[in-house]
Amino acid sequence: MAMTKQVPLSNLAPGQKGTIIAIRSRGPLRRRLLDMGMVRGETVYVERVAPLGDPVEYSVKGAHLSLRRRDAANIIVEVPSQEDEDHD
Amino acid sequence: MSQPRRLRVALAGNPNAGKSTVFNALTGSHQHVGNWPGKTVEKKEGSFRYRDLWVDIIDLPGTYSLSAYSPEERIAQEFITQEHPDVVVNVVDASNLERNLYLTAQLLEIGVPLIIVLNMTDVAEQLGYKIDVARFSQLLGVPVIPAVASKGEGMEVLREYLYQAAQDPSQFAPPHALVQYEHEMERSVRQLTEALQGLSDLQGYQPRWLAVKLIEGDTQAHDIVAHAPGGDEVLALLDKIMDKLRRTYGEDVDIVLADARYGFVRGLTRQVLTLPKQPPRTLSDRIDQIVTNRWLGIPLFLFLMYLMFNLVQRVSAPYMDWIDSLFSGPVPQWTLAALHALHAPDWLSSLVVDGAIAGVGSVLVFVPSLMVMFFALAFMEDSGYLARAAFVMDKMMGFLGLNGRAFIPMILGFGCNVPAVYATRTIENRGARILTGLLIPFMSCSARLPVYVVFGMAFFGAKAGLVVWSLYLIGIATAAIAGWALARWVFPEVHQSVFVLELPRYRLPTWQGLWLHTWEHTSEFVRKAGTVILGISVLLWFLLNLPWGVTDPRESYFGRVSGALAPVFEPAGFGTWQAAGALVSGFVAKEVVISTMSQIYVGEQEARMGESATPLNWREDARAIVAGFLEATRDAGKAFLDVLTPGVSLFPHDEGAQRETALSRALHNAFTPLSAFAFLVYVLLYTPCAATIAAQAQEYGWRWAGFSVLLGLTTAWVLAVAVFQIGRLLGWG
Repeated sequence: MAMTKQVPLSNLAPGQKGTIIAIRSRGPLRRRLLDMGMVRGETVYVERVAPLGDPVEYSVKGAHLSLRRRDAANIIVEVPSQEDEDHD
Repeated sequence: MSQPRRLRVALAGNPNAGKSTVFNALTGSHQHVGNWPGKTVEKKEGSFRYRDLWVDIIDLPGTYSLSAYSPEERIAQEFITQEHPDVVVNVVDASNLERNLYLTAQLLEIGVPLIIVLNMTDVAEQLGYKIDVARFSQLLGVPVIPAVASKGEGMEVLREYLYQAAQDPSQFAPPHALVQYEHEMERSVRQLTEALQGLSDLQGYQPRWLAVKLIEGDTQAHDIVAHAPGGDEVLALLDKIMDKLRRTYGEDVDIVLADARYGFVRGLTRQVLTLPKQPPRTLSDRIDQIVTNRWLGIPLFLFLMYLMFNLVQRVSAPYMDWIDSLFSGPVPQWTLAALHALHAPDWLSSLVVDGAIAGVGSVLVFVPSLMVMFFALAFMEDSGYLARAAFVMDKMMGFLGLNGRAFIPMILGFGCNVPAVYATRTIENRGARILTGLLIPFMSCSARLPVYVVFGMAFFGAKAGLVVWSLYLIGIATAAIAGWALARWVFPEVHQSVFVLELPRYRLPTWQGLWLHTWEHTSEFVRKAGTVILGISVLLWFLLNLPWGVTDPRESYFGRVSGALAPVFEPAGFGTWQAAGALVSGFVAKEVVISTMSQIYVGEQEARMGESATPLNWREDARAIVAGFLEATRDAGKAFLDVLTPGVSLFPHDEGAQRETALSRALHNAFTPLSAFAFLVYVLLYTPCAATIAAQAQEYGWRWAGFSVLLGLTTAWVLAVAVFQIGRLLGWG
């Protein structure tokens, strides 16, 4: 198996990126995330953290979004675990 | 002459795609702002003439999608599918193509005649994007117009296409079923579409679009089918289809649909969009590094708030004084003279001057500060800063069950609650918007300050400043507690609500956009809230002047009502009819609390100006009015410069301090320091003024305005009583 692991998006630090593999939330948040381009297979970059530590700014499909950590925890992304290996 | 032809156009697009800019560029000042029926969502309509064609444009709310999740999306979807605009113009941000085309995919699915405006191509160019417009248009089968709406580029082409559309809109209808779903999903959509084609009354919905919506679980689509004759069978089929789909896709049916749309979009962008290898760092990114910086973000935000607060307060103040002087001088004087010449009875003159004109004056006096506030807010919103402010402040507001967007309205509340209530429009979630609007009255507005100052000087001497400061803090603490409680018990959905915020690219707002925004919202205030304030002012006149021929205010209905209310305030230590009367008039506006008290306690009657002996002189008055306006402009300019140079004091100390000595003496006979403080707590917390109620009613409906009044009255009473009783127990009384 390739060297990847699955973590909540909220675990990523600024400068890191991950590929969305699942959206665990339900209801309006899930719909909103889909509408804003947070779909499976998309790469999300962590841009920066707000001065008070929450929310966090992400970019996806070239657009910048702010999500609270609580909500970002429901987005599961895949990141390289040790080396920069691609995985299909 | 033949009737000019008309074309009905709906403008759709993502928030921040520049929809309003396109709307303004097309319609100029021929536009009108209202609300969608029964909704608090803003509705903008406008029209323009092109050759022999009149084009009517409806600006739909900005949405990312057309599901029926938010009121905005529901409105956009309903309008397009049920009101049948001839053409939909979809404004797309060229610098953010993929995300914007998600909505386009849904518009194509609906199948309405479509024209795409590819806006902000200049930004896309700076980013190094290359877009093949001809191929784009060819693939979608509808016109695609590159544009920079803020500079008017592409608008002439758009007008020309609209003119063509008027000949035959169907030429711009997209080809059937451009968006295809995954194998099993596509089969289900088709099966359901066929069944729906057999129904007669689909309220204008395309069967295929409706089929997709049914599978998506859209309750509105479900209702439409349920009401159509023979709809039950279709719904039974839907249940069967859903069972099958769930077996295949689990709970991810909506994700499969979204995936297919994005798949379509990705396929499209791959063919028309070339991205640079290395995306350049834009000015926007660099600005953000400062604006949302870990250390600079909050100080910068607070500085901008300080600037805005001061602009709203101080730049508008000279104009407010000028309007005030008009309505206490020339306007009533000339009206009285005119009424006199017409031999109008005295009571009528009094009703017109003291009731109606005073009412109009108290509406117009808000206009300068509202204009400055709307302008500043429009600037922050259009430039993209407002979203950053929400990003920076979100965590702090989270403690109150609110989100970051609530901070600016709360701060504005310290200046005047009325613009603050209007500023809640920038909060997307309706519950959060209302909750913020309910807390704003606890922010001590500047009109309450003179009351604190007069009482502070009379009772607390050197400690007056401390007393005033403590009142501001009590207001903030009350808002925090009330917010916490309301978020848990009245708005549980707000507490749980999500806060997904787009941080759009910074851009320079257009003057036209800022001015139109300012003008429309201000005139809307005059029309809507103005009517209510005028009504209350006239009502108060009747209360003061009935029963017929009353001279002593104590004997008027106003005096009797105040007398009847007085016992209510007994436990708070100020159960006199005079105090109650001052509070009753303070319900209309806090500005009049002190003047009512002077009238009642000191008996100082203001001389009626119209009856003075000086003859009226048109020229003199006209010159004085113009001179007053110029002077106000000079003072506003000075204030503007003052605001930009920090180090000025936040507290105006001059107001009403010296001249109220007779009142101070009278107050000493009626209040103890403790009951005076309880009175101030009451003044701080109860309904700020009629204008705030009118604004709340306009924004949230009468039910919530009424709730706010009750909330204010009970909170104020409970705390004033608590202050007085606890103070007495501690032996301060």
